[in-house]
Amino acid sequence: MNGHEAAGGPVREPVGDRGDVGGVRVMVVDDHPMWRDGVARDLADAGYDVVATTGEGRQALRIAAAVRPDVVVLDLRLPDLAGVEVARGLGASGSPPRVLVLSASAEEDDVLEAVKAGASGYLVKSASREEFLDAVRRTAEGDAVFTPGLAGLVLGEYRRLAHRTPEAPGDGPRLTERETEVLRMVAKGLTYRQIAERLVLSHRTVQNHVQNTLSKLQLHNRVELVRYAIENGLAELD
Amino acid sequence: MGIEGPFWRALAVFRAASLAYAALLLVRAGGYAVPVVSWAVLGVMTAWTAAAAVLYPARPGLRGWVLLAADLAVTSACLLATPYAQTDAAAQSGAMPLTATWVAGPVLAWGVARGRRAGAVAAALVSVADLWLRGRGGLDLASLPVNGAVLMFMAGVVVGHVAQLAREAEERVQRAVELEAAGRERERLARGIHDSVLQVLALVQRRGAEIGGEAAGLGRLAGEQEAALRALVQAPSDQEAAARTRAGTAGGRHPGGGGGRDRDRGGGGGRDRGAAGADGGAPEPPVDLRELLRPYGGARVTLSVPATPLPLPPGTAGEVRAAVGAALDNVARHCPDGARAWILVEEDDGRVIVTVRDDGPGIPEGRLEEAAAVGRMGVARSIRGRVAELGGTVTITSSGTGTEVEMAVPVPGPAAGRRAR
Repeated sequence: MNGHEAAGGPVREPVGDRGDVGGVRVMVVDDHPMWRDGVARDLADAGYDVVATTGEGRQALRIAAAVRPDVVVLDLRLPDLAGVEVARGLGASGSPPRVLVLSASAEEDDVLEAVKAGASGYLVKSASREEFLDAVRRTAEGDAVFTPGLAGLVLGEYRRLAHRTPEAPGDGPRLTERETEVLRMVAKGLTYRQIAERLVLSHRTVQNHVQNTLSKLQLHNRVELVRYAIENGLAELD
Repeated sequence: MGIEGPFWRALAVFRAASLAYAALLLVRAGGYAVPVVSWAVLGVMTAWTAAAAVLYPARPGLRGWVLLAADLAVTSACLLATPYAQTDAAAQSGAMPLTATWVAGPVLAWGVARGRRAGAVAAALVSVADLWLRGRGGLDLASLPVNGAVLMFMAGVVVGHVAQLAREAEERVQRAVELEAAGRERERLARGIHDSVLQVLALVQRRGAEIGGEAAGLGRLAGEQEAALRALVQAPSDQEAAARTRAGTAGGRHPGGGGGRDRDRGGGGGRDRGAAGADGGAPEPPVDLRELLRPYGGARVTLSVPATPLPLPPGTAGEVRAAVGAALDNVARHCPDGARAWILVEEDDGRVIVTVRDDGPGIPEGRLEEAAAVGRMGVARSIRGRVAELGGTVTITSSGTGTEVEMAVPVPGPAAGRRAR
């Protein structure tokens, strides 16, 4: 399976280098007006097309369905709807946008849930503007944006899944040895470039490994959701 | 209805049983002297027993003095009707009045509804009626049968007292529940406020860094505060765990026992929070290693942990924490300003693996061994010593991209068996 497809919907055209981001439609969802405006301005200055800003989750889902952004910058703490639910709702839409979670108070469970629900990256708000813009660019290109903290969470989640079903090892996603190796290095703060050097791989290969760990987890999450829905009579197999 | 419900049910049962007893006596005595009156009074008693059983529990509004007074009036009337049914001779020979034990009903009701004093007052009133009835035929006061009165008095006071205690306990529980709900609500509000403050601090930090100059200093300060506040917000369960540990030690202290060995073993980490409760004999509840390591995270140190808790015995967790602290101290001492560090916490195959990595210049070849040989450097002693004590291993690697200290510690107890399959 292609990693990009698993991350949500059809493969997008890569937007290329920085400065060539015109036409990438971004929506900002943050209940803090100062932040919302600041982030929107930064994005606009960098050449992005900021198509909508909102501070409410339900509204975000409605607007997203109408304006169809390529990237959604999402705060996890919203007044009306949990950010995780928004991420889930965005992922369930017809042409799901890529979601970059940007949050001040990182609650680990929420971050992990949002990522499992389809968000393709996570960044704390104290990240610098350059880090932020770089993260948006990578998100638009379909790359996973992994902080060391997120890598630790994903690593822990794979281990939890492995321990949960020792009798049925076929059930649940597994990391390859190489993926585990790469993910651990990301969690220990090594950059993709440093990892590539250490493992004698290309930068792109490292990126693909990271992307795969996320895609497998999201796919598993969707399968689990569907299974849950069928078992509880919420859906039927045609 | 609350706590009083069971009391009213018990009282209804008592009245019904007493009524049956009175009926039995009536049948055995062949209807006393005037059967028509006797059976009429018993009919009233039956009706009132049923009414009381329904009215008391169902209508808290009716349970005021009106119902209590009515109860007392009806019961006393039935009691005082005795002379019209029984002969004086029967009463004087010490036989039960027509109403028998049924007269205790309002006494208990007053006690349950209004406490022990009301119970005593009702008992006094019924007793006066009872004694007047018995003394009517010309008995002198000294030989009056007061047994029944004393028993009734005691029943009223004791039941009243118990009901009062139960009510007070219920109120206390109610207050505790309200306080807890208020606390939770406050916590929820605080989380929102904390989040706002975090947002502003993060914004100041970011804009400050962009503007540069003096603003950059302000931004750095904001960043430090942001990290401190986030650590606080993320670790509410830390305090809870500490409280649990304290409660566990206070509740499970055994005289003598095997506490001495624990104390000796925990002595090295005595200043650690994790080992602080090690003077009790009872096994201590495990602590979440993530929470212990959380305070180390900050602007320069990134902490990566799983989303699920990593329970470890407090002693083990405290030692691991101390080892991590030693590794970070080492980073601060040997790396130039601006070096960053990362802590990765993992659990795999019954082991907890904690890795501390820095992006400093690395440790020159042979430096560690040399330092250990002269017994000077903290890394070898603090880290290797602590981890070896726990049966774990330490791997230190160093290269151009920094130094990595990897500590693997087996998870003791049933968790290890479960995790290791």
